[in-house]
Amino acid sequence: MTAQPTLSLDEISTGDELMFERGEKNEAFKILRREAPVRWNPGNEEVKGWWDITKYEDVLYVSRNPERFISSEGIVMFEPRDPEMRLQAANGNGKMLITMDPPRHVMLRRLVNKGFTPRAVRAMEGHIREITRDLLDDIAPKGKCDFVIDVASQLPLAVICEMMGLEKQDWPLMFQLTNKVLGAGDPEYQTDVPEDQRGTNDAARLTGNMGTMGMFGFFAQQLEARKAHRRGDLISILVDSEIEGEKLTDEDLLWFCFLLILAGNETTRNAISGGLMTLCEHPAERARLQADMSLLPAAIEEILRWVSPVTHMARIATEDSEIRGQKIAKGDRVVMWYPSVNRDEDIFPEPERFDITRSPNDHLAFGIGEHFCLGAGFARLELRVMFEELFARLPDIQMDGPVERLRSTFIGGIKHLPVRYTPA
Amino acid sequence: MKVQVNRDMCEGHGKCQSAAPEIFELRDDEISYVLVDEVPAESVARVEAAIRLCPRQAISWVKEK
Ligand code: HEM
Ligand code: SF4
Repeated sequence: MTAQPTLSLDEISTGDELMFERGEKNEAFKILRREAPVRWNPGNEEVKGWWDITKYEDVLYVSRNPERFISSEGIVMFEPRDPEMRLQAANGNGKMLITMDPPRHVMLRRLVNKGFTPRAVRAMEGHIREITRDLLDDIAPKGKCDFVIDVASQLPLAVICEMMGLEKQDWPLMFQLTNKVLGAGDPEYQTDVPEDQRGTNDAARLTGNMGTMGMFGFFAQQLEARKAHRRGDLISILVDSEIEGEKLTDEDLLWFCFLLILAGNETTRNAISGGLMTLCEHPAERARLQADMSLLPAAIEEILRWVSPVTHMARIATEDSEIRGQKIAKGDRVVMWYPSVNRDEDIFPEPERFDITRSPNDHLAFGIGEHFCLGAGFARLELRVMFEELFARLPDIQMDGPVERLRSTFIGGIKHLPVRYTPA
Repeated sequence: MKVQVNRDMCEGHGKCQSAAPEIFELRDDEISYVLVDEVPAESVARVEAAIRLCPRQAISWVKEK
């Protein structure tokens, strides 16, 4: 066996999108956990520095102190140095559930969280199964497809669009726009930029802006329509909601829609496709699952741990503190790396083993605490129904060519996953 | 020791009930209720586990005056 090329600490920067695109993040995080579990990354000429937090206990600590580590000054790693760009990047800060701090955060969350409880989720199972079967009906006779485009992206898209009451004709637009916002750095989605200029920072900025503007334009129309006629969907509920006697402003409503459509779309997709890929790469575990589908709920937790579709959330320190002996100064940005904590050797025995019956399995793929993923129940249900239906219908589905990953430090995305199967 | 569930935070994930069924009960309103006034010594570790596992950080010990 030839020795694998290994990374050294000096070569690792979590700011390097290409490292994620090449699929090297797990190796890098292993080194960080071992050699520099709380590590200052100085950033560069364009972006400010940040702390990489890679151990489980430290992410728990940060997540559980939402007043000491706030969300309202940015939840992603990169903060531009240029003041004008910084303003632009800070546009949504403090305006969405995910970028808001207590106490207003809890009030806003309580407007919608009854729509996401275990009971609300269970009530959707039949419908989610119907959507899934329809999707599989379309691909089953073909014998091969791009699993991401044809299946994995379509179920979450349908579920969140229906919850928000969006017409089917608008779904493809939502797919396009969410890709532009969260895949802004990936040349594939930089379609508003001439081909020879793609892959640059400017191209990424422009693409993100086009996606955001497109979304705001679209949802402004949706709001007007709901104001004229309520429809019983999530947007209509929000239109009528109040916090301390006050209605949400149009701006609040638009940001809420923006968050829901992104969070609903760009996450579960990657858990489904990442899950299928992982199962294909671990044939013994896959066989064990297909022989006994009652193992599926535990297998899904292991898929979530293994894939960790959301790679990070950032917080800003509001006071000086210390984490694992490192001095964190007031104003510093700390970045919590979920794929890393989910393979933390101190928490998970044999973390590099994909074990569909792992127990306990208290992964943090959905975060924890104040901002714990609102859609976790839906994501789990979508995953369960998808794999039940998929393995019933196309039990021999296999990868059929190289996967293409998203160039992003935020979403552990898979853009294309060619698969083949016996037509059914 | 007494334990409490913050109703504003709880979203009915039920991790507490799995960790310490003798202490927490998820009721029809999808909120977890504490079944006992005082947590017996043999349940303390399980309550600690529930506190740690609750995704919403909704469970805490009541501070003694
Ligand atoms: C496997 C799929 C998913 C993963 C891995 C995921 C992951 C996450 C993570 C890591 C957070 C931040 C947690 C924190 O800061 O502590 C989050 C928040 C959120 N997620 Fe998800 N998510 C998924 C699916 C969904 C779905 C399907 C929806 C909507 C239907 C959704 C809606 C949200 C919302 C609204 C928030 C913000 C909550 C808040 O700030 O209070 N997510 N998610
Ligand atoms: S684990 Fe937390 S959120 Fe879930 S039911 Fe118990 S107290 Fe509520």
